[in-house]
Amino acid sequence: MAVNAPVAPAELKSNLNDPLVIAEKIKAQYPTAVEAANAQGIVVQGEQLLEVARYLHDTPELGFDYLHNVTSVDYPDRLEVVYHVSNLARGGTPLTLKVNAARQDPAVPSLVPVYRGANFQEREVYDMMGVRFLGHPNLRRILLWDGFEGFPLRKDYKEPYYEDERKPFGTRWDQGHHVIAEDRNPWHDNVKYPASFDAVGYKPQRDTVRTVGAEDAVATKLRTDKLVLNIGPQHPSTHGVLRLKVTLDGETVVAAEPVLGYLHRNHEKIGERNTYLQNIPFTDRLDYITSMANNLAYVVGVEKLMGIKAPERAEYLRVIMAELTRWISHIAAIGFIYNDLGAFYTPLLYGLEERELVLDLFEAASGSRMMCNYMRFGGVARDVPEGFLDKVQYLVTERFPRRMDELEAYMVGNELFTARARNIGILPRDLAINYSAAGPVLRASGVKYDLRRADPYSIYDRFEFDVPVGTVGDMHDRFTVRIAEMRESVKILKQALAQIPAGEIMTGKKNYQIRVPKGEVYGRAENPKGELGFFMVSDGTPNPYRYHVRAPAFINLTALNEMVVGHKIADLIVILGSLDVVMGEVDR
Amino acid sequence: MEIIVFYLFAAIAVIAALGVVGLRNPVYAALCLAVVFVSFAGLYVLLSAPFIAVAQVMIYAGAILILFVFVIMLLSPPVDQGEGALKWQKPLALGFVGALAVQLVLVLALAVLPSARGSLTPEVIAQRGDVQVVGAALFSDYLLPFEMTSLLLLVAIVGVIVLAKKR
Amino acid sequence: MTLEPWLITVIEALIKVLVVIVVLLTGFAYLTLVERYVVAKIQSRVGPNRVGAAGGIAWLQPIADAVKMIMKEDFWPAQADKVTYTLAPGIAVATALLAWAVIPLNPAITVFGYTINFYIADVNVALLFLLAVGSLGIYGIVLGGWGSNNKYSMLGALRSTAQMISYEISLGLALVGVLMISGSLSLVKIVEQQSFWWFVFFQPVGFVIYFIAAVAEVNRLPFDLPEAETELVAGYQTEYSSLKFALFYMAEYINMITVSAIASTMFLGGYQGPFGILPGAHWLILKILFFIFVMMWMRGTLPRFRYDQLMRFGWKVLLPLALANIFVTAVVLVLIGK
Repeated sequence: MAVNAPVAPAELKSNLNDPLVIAEKIKAQYPTAVEAANAQGIVVQGEQLLEVARYLHDTPELGFDYLHNVTSVDYPDRLEVVYHVSNLARGGTPLTLKVNAARQDPAVPSLVPVYRGANFQEREVYDMMGVRFLGHPNLRRILLWDGFEGFPLRKDYKEPYYEDERKPFGTRWDQGHHVIAEDRNPWHDNVKYPASFDAVGYKPQRDTVRTVGAEDAVATKLRTDKLVLNIGPQHPSTHGVLRLKVTLDGETVVAAEPVLGYLHRNHEKIGERNTYLQNIPFTDRLDYITSMANNLAYVVGVEKLMGIKAPERAEYLRVIMAELTRWISHIAAIGFIYNDLGAFYTPLLYGLEERELVLDLFEAASGSRMMCNYMRFGGVARDVPEGFLDKVQYLVTERFPRRMDELEAYMVGNELFTARARNIGILPRDLAINYSAAGPVLRASGVKYDLRRADPYSIYDRFEFDVPVGTVGDMHDRFTVRIAEMRESVKILKQALAQIPAGEIMTGKKNYQIRVPKGEVYGRAENPKGELGFFMVSDGTPNPYRYHVRAPAFINLTALNEMVVGHKIADLIVILGSLDVVMGEVDR
Repeated sequence: MEIIVFYLFAAIAVIAALGVVGLRNPVYAALCLAVVFVSFAGLYVLLSAPFIAVAQVMIYAGAILILFVFVIMLLSPPVDQGEGALKWQKPLALGFVGALAVQLVLVLALAVLPSARGSLTPEVIAQRGDVQVVGAALFSDYLLPFEMTSLLLLVAIVGVIVLAKKR
Repeated sequence: MTLEPWLITVIEALIKVLVVIVVLLTGFAYLTLVERYVVAKIQSRVGPNRVGAAGGIAWLQPIADAVKMIMKEDFWPAQADKVTYTLAPGIAVATALLAWAVIPLNPAITVFGYTINFYIADVNVALLFLLAVGSLGIYGIVLGGWGSNNKYSMLGALRSTAQMISYEISLGLALVGVLMISGSLSLVKIVEQQSFWWFVFFQPVGFVIYFIAAVAEVNRLPFDLPEAETELVAGYQTEYSSLKFALFYMAEYINMITVSAIASTMFLGGYQGPFGILPGAHWLILKILFFIFVMMWMRGTLPRFRYDQLMRFGWKVLLPLALANIFVTAVVLVLIGK
C-alpha cells in the first residue's frame, strides 16, 4: 500500500482530499446538497447528509471509508455538527463535512447506517450538545447519566461552582474579603436532580441470582436461561471504572454494552474555560499512561492553527519522547493482556520494570514521571539535562532489544497464550474500518494505516520504519502488532538519537499568553492507543471557543460488542484488555 | 465405646433425616441428606465395612448429592411456604405412614429375625482385606447384576449425549 | 494409676490431632509468606520486608496478616443465606484438615516401650478416604458461592463444581496404577513398600496426571477458574471478608499441602529417603515443599486456561491418558506375573 513508503506530504495530497473538488462532485450528484464549500470543508444540507455520506463512502473512486471524528460546535445562532472522513488507503488530511442545525431542538440524520463508528460519537454529541440524531439505533446519553439535566457543552450551560466564562478568573478579593467559589455559583447547589427523579424514595433495583432464568426463556426461543452480569465499575480487570453490562448464556456472551462516564469530568468544558497553554497539563490526564504523546497531539494541533513550527532540536526531542511513550505504553499493554489472561502479574511487572527506567528519564526531562506537561507551542518546555541522551542510547541499543527478545520468546511462544488468543475476538478488516477502530486495533485487522506515515506530523517523514499489520485481526494479532510496533519505535529512536542537532528548543521567547488566530483545526497524532485528535475552534481570544478530543480508546470501544459476542466471559475480559483502554481518555 | 459411637451416628442420622423431610428450604433439606449419608458411612465403619463407608461418602455425598444441590441452586425453587401446595396429599401421606408403622410393628413383633452369622466375619475381612472381599464378591457371585448395572449406565450416558446433541 | 488401654488410644489420638492441626495452621501461615517471597523473586520484587524483619525475612508477617484479617469487618451481603454463608468456610477447612487423619508422617518409633505411630489412623481404605474427603470439599465452595447471593460467586461455584468433579476422576484413576502395584489401599503400607524404589519410577505417567489433576483440584493457576480474579473478581469468595475469608484461604493452602503430601506418599515414597537413605519426616516435608514450590512457580509464570479448554483438557486428554495408564500397568503386571 502506498502509505507504507516514506513520502513527502506534498505527494500525498491527491486532489481527492481537496474539499472544493469533492464539493463539485457532490453537487453533480445532489445539486441541492452543498450549502457552502471552501478549503476548510463542505457544509452539507441537513436532510441530505445521509445520502451524501453514502455517496462518499460507496463511490469507489472517492472511497471515504473511515469516519475519524464526530463533534459539534455551539455558535450563537446555530449548532454545527462536524464530521471528519477520509480514505485510509489514500491517507492525508481528512475531509471536513459540516451540518448546521437550529439551536432549538436540533436534529440531523445519523450516520450510523454508513459508518458504524459514529455510534458512540453521536451519542456523545447528543449527550453534550443535545443534537438528536435521527435514525440512531440507541440514542441515549453515554457519558452522563440518563437523568442529567441540560447539555453541558452548550455555551449557556453553567456548571456547579461556575465562576466565570473563561480563565484567568477575576479576583476573589474584590469585596475586601475572600469570596469562595460556591458563593458565586448562581445555583449555589451542587447537586440537582431532574424533575422526574425522586432522590428520597430512590431504591436500587433488586438484583438476585436466584431468579436467574425462566422468565425470558420463552421469549428468546433459547432453551437456556440468561444472566445479566454487571462487570464493573468496581472490577479488578476493567482497566479503571468501566462498566460492562453483559448478557450471558451460561458462560457465553450474548451481548456486551459498555456503560461509560464514571470518570467523566467534562474535560472539554474545562478546556474551553482554560487558555490554550493551561490545557497542556490537562491533556496529560487524558490517557495518563502516555502524557508525552497527548501533549504532542495537542501541541501539533495548536501549532497548525498558529502556523508556527518548532526548531529542529525540539522536534527531535518530541519524537524521542513520543516514541519512548509508545514503547512503555505497549509494554504495559501486553503485560496487562497477560494479566487479564490470568498470569499473576509477572509479565506486567517485567514490563513495568522497563517502564520505570523511561519514567526516570521523563522525570529528568520534565520534572514529572507521569504528568509530564513537557511540550509547548513552538518547542518543548526545557532542554534535556546532561547525559539524558546517553541513557536513552543505552536503553534503545542494549536494554530494550534484549528485553523484547526475552518477552517475545516467553510470551508469544507460550502454548496457553496461543490457545487462548488465536481466533479470539476477531475484528475483520472492513468492520475495523467501519467501526473507526484506530491504532494497533486497526492495524491488527490488516489495515496499514499509521498517521506517522499517512499524514506525517512533526518530523516523522524523515525516519525509516515499517507499519506492522496483523492478518486475522484476532487477539493474538493485536498482541504481536504491539510488539512489532515496539521494535519500530526502537528503530525510530536510534535514528533520532543519531540525527539530533544542538540548538534552540523553542521558537521565539517563552510566552504565557499565546496569540491564536481565528480559525479551526483538526490536529492529530498517532498515539500508542490510536489516533488522538484535537478539534479546536479559535475565535481569536486566548481561550479556545471549542475544544474537542477524539479519544481513540473511546471509539475503539464501539466495536467491543462485535468482537465479544459468542465468546466466553473469560475471553471478554481479554478482548477488552487487547483494546488497551484507559478510562481517563474514554470518559474524559 | 463402640455403642456410644453407634448411638451418636444413629442419632445424627435420624435428626438429619427429620430435617430432610421437615425443612422448607430445599437446599437445607439436601444438606441434611448429606449429613445422613455421612453418618451412615460412620455406621458402616462400625460394621467393619470401611470400603462401603467410603464409597457411600464419595459417591452419594460427594457426587450425586452435589449435583442435586447444584440443580436446586440453579433452578432456585421458591422456599416452600407450607400451606397452599400439596393440599390433598397430606391425609394420603399420613395414611401411608400409618400403614407403614403398623406393618413395621407387626413384623418386629411376630417374626423372628434370623441372626445367623455369615461367612464374612470381621476377622475374615481383616485377614483378606475389605476391598478384596468386596471385589471378589462383585466379580464372582454378583457378576451378572454388576454387568447389568454397567450396561444401564452406558445406556444412560448414550441417552444424555443424544439429548445434549439435539440442541 | 494405670490408664485403660482405650483411654490411652483416645488420648494419643487427641494429641496427634492437636499437633497436626497446629502444625498445619502454622504451616499455612508461613506458606503464605513463602508464596509471597517466591512470587516476588519471580517478579523481580522484594517481597514483604517490614513486619519483624530480620535477615531479609519478615518473620512476623503472617501474624500481622492474621491480626489484620481478624480486625476486618465481618461483612454480610444483603439477602445472603445466613446458614450456608457461615457454614461454607467451615466445611472447606474441616474437609481440608480431615485428610490428614490417614497420612503417615514418620516411621514408627518406640519410646519407653510404647510404640508411637506417626499417623492418626491406619485405615485400610485410606486412599479412598482421601478421595472421599476431597469430594466433600466441594460443598464448601458450592455453598459459599450460592449463599453469598452474588452472580460472580455463583459462576465461581458453578465452575468449581464442574471442574472438581471432572478432575477428581482423573485424580482417582491416576492413583489406581499405584494401587495395582502396591496391592493395598493403606497409605502406611504403600509408604513402607517404597523403602527403596519409589513408585514414581514405575508410574511416571500416573504421577504427571496426578499432579496436574491435583493442581486443578486445589484451584491453583493455571486452573484457578473458580476464583479467576480477572473475570469473576474472586469467584465464590467474592463476598467473604474477615475470618470467613481467612478460613477459605486456609482451606486452599491446607489443600495444597495435602495434595502435595499425597503425591509424595503415593509416588515419592512419603517419609522414605531416595534408595533407602535416612527415612524420616524431613523427607516428607522436603517433598511437600518441593511440590508447593512448583505450584507457586506455576502461579508466577502461567496464564489461565479458559473454562471450556479446561474441561476439554480434563475429559479428552487427562481421562483417556489415565485409563490407558491403568491398562498398560495391568498388562505389565500380568506379564511379569505379579
